[in-house]
Amino acid sequence: MIQSLLLSFFKWKGYGPWIFLGFDNYIKLFTIDKNFFVALRNSIVFTIFNTIGSLLVGFILAILINLKIRFWKIYRFVFFLPVVLSGVVVSMLWLKIVDPYGLLNTFLSILHLENLQRIWLANSGLAMGIIIAVAIWWGNGYSMIFFLAGMQNIDEEIYEAAKIDGASTMRRIVSITVPLLKNVFSTLILLTVISSFKVFDIVWIITLGGPAGGTEVLGTQLYENAFRNQRFGYASVIAVIMFLISILFSIIYIKVTANNERIRRA
Amino acid sequence: MFKKTLKSKRNDFGGFFNNSLIQLVLVIWALFQLYPVIWLFYSSFKPTPDIRSKLFALPEYLYLKNYDINYYHQKGITIGIYLRNSTIVTVVSILILTFVCLIAGYAIAKIKFPGKNLLIIFLIGLIGIPIHSLIIPLYYFIARMGLLSTLWGLILPYIAFGIPFSVLMLQTYFRQFPDELIEAAMIDGCSHLRLFFTVVVPISLGAISTVLIVNFISIWNEFLFSLVINRDNAAKTLTVGIMGFKGQYVTDWGPYLAGLVIAVVPSIIFYAIFHRNIIKGMTAGSLKG
Repeated sequence: MIQSLLLSFFKWKGYGPWIFLGFDNYIKLFTIDKNFFVALRNSIVFTIFNTIGSLLVGFILAILINLKIRFWKIYRFVFFLPVVLSGVVVSMLWLKIVDPYGLLNTFLSILHLENLQRIWLANSGLAMGIIIAVAIWWGNGYSMIFFLAGMQNIDEEIYEAAKIDGASTMRRIVSITVPLLKNVFSTLILLTVISSFKVFDIVWIITLGGPAGGTEVLGTQLYENAFRNQRFGYASVIAVIMFLISILFSIIYIKVTANNERIRRA
Repeated sequence: MFKKTLKSKRNDFGGFFNNSLIQLVLVIWALFQLYPVIWLFYSSFKPTPDIRSKLFALPEYLYLKNYDINYYHQKGITIGIYLRNSTIVTVVSILILTFVCLIAGYAIAKIKFPGKNLLIIFLIGLIGIPIHSLIIPLYYFIARMGLLSTLWGLILPYIAFGIPFSVLMLQTYFRQFPDELIEAAMIDGCSHLRLFFTVVVPISLGAISTVLIVNFISIWNEFLFSLVINRDNAAKTLTVGIMGFKGQYVTDWGPYLAGLVIAVVPSIIFYAIFHRNIIKGMTAGSLKG
């Protein structure tokens, strides 16, 4: 990490000497390089939507499964399955789903919804939407498992008591489940935010950052600068920025868990 | 009182109608999650023209030519070697990693030494560091050590990346161990090391398997680092190697899907066998914070 910081002040091509540049890399990144801001914005957009989406879907699934419904173990097995697949496999599979002649468009034509058909990866907004959808498809099981584990720790009697008092199911979820799962929510939000900021493989494989750089994120920018264009010093600036962002979230995470610990002990 | 029970019944999800509604929602979502994978499997047994013209149809006969691995090898996609590389890297990494972390976790949990709390905070901090921030200096180190495009060039960093999480998980587990047990053994003249192997390890098999499994998944699926370090075909792992199918068979869906199936099968078998431990292990480590 220290070396990353050091290198961010130099120019280095992967071989040969390090040329000292001072803050030039930083200045260039923040003033000239428009790509960086696009990538930063995309990373933020991806992080927000992926976090909300994965948690929301995961939470709803966990609640439904936790109603002691039949076959709940099978559902849990199926919903978690994508989590163990690699990002490469998931992305390559989805490439065939969003292919112009792929599963999605064919499915739409079976439903006679031809007017909804798109060339999904041709414009950056749509492509970003697809990437987020893939991320949610891939990761919602992870959130679900956390919520489910949390819910199964909640004492059944609390629900029984609320039921006798006439609280509706919705009411029980809002005023019992959600507050008692506060820890799970905060842990999951931070874990998902941190991992979303690092996203690389699904973006790299599905769009390569395209079309025309429209879906670049920090991870792909760093990779391109360092390992495609041999601009290691410049890429190190991005590495430093990513580091600062995740340290910020880690500190929040440690604070939150420490807080929870204190509450639990009290 | 009567009104109340009536009301609670109406809003309860327990009724037959509501119950089947929930089942319907869950089945639809399960199809969304599972169908692409099922489609992948059966379509890989169809010739490309069939896949493209009848996208959703089941194979009319079992077409096995997509699985002609020798043919791919001639084309430069040496999938057998990728599989072997992934297996070696993953198995060696998790074995060394788990062994190191067992000892470290035990030491942190049960032996007093100065700077212990600082070490724990340091380890927690390390978990948050993204691999991206480290990749350039690590690339530099590995290049300097002459380990680019070797399996050790991947194994060493994978061990390093796995350490913080695994040590922390094991040390929280070892903390629950009764001190009396250790003290009793010590009085009998048993050393820490001997106690560790004869008592601690045998009763910690559950925690050990969790660490093994969680690291197995993350190392088997790792992509970015593998992409950067191992560009040489002979040293590629599966995640990077199957991208060759993306490059060479963009429109030829048959081989593309068959390649994906080969990549997916080990993960699915692993999941089918260990899914209980995986689900438990994924949540256990982080929920305790």
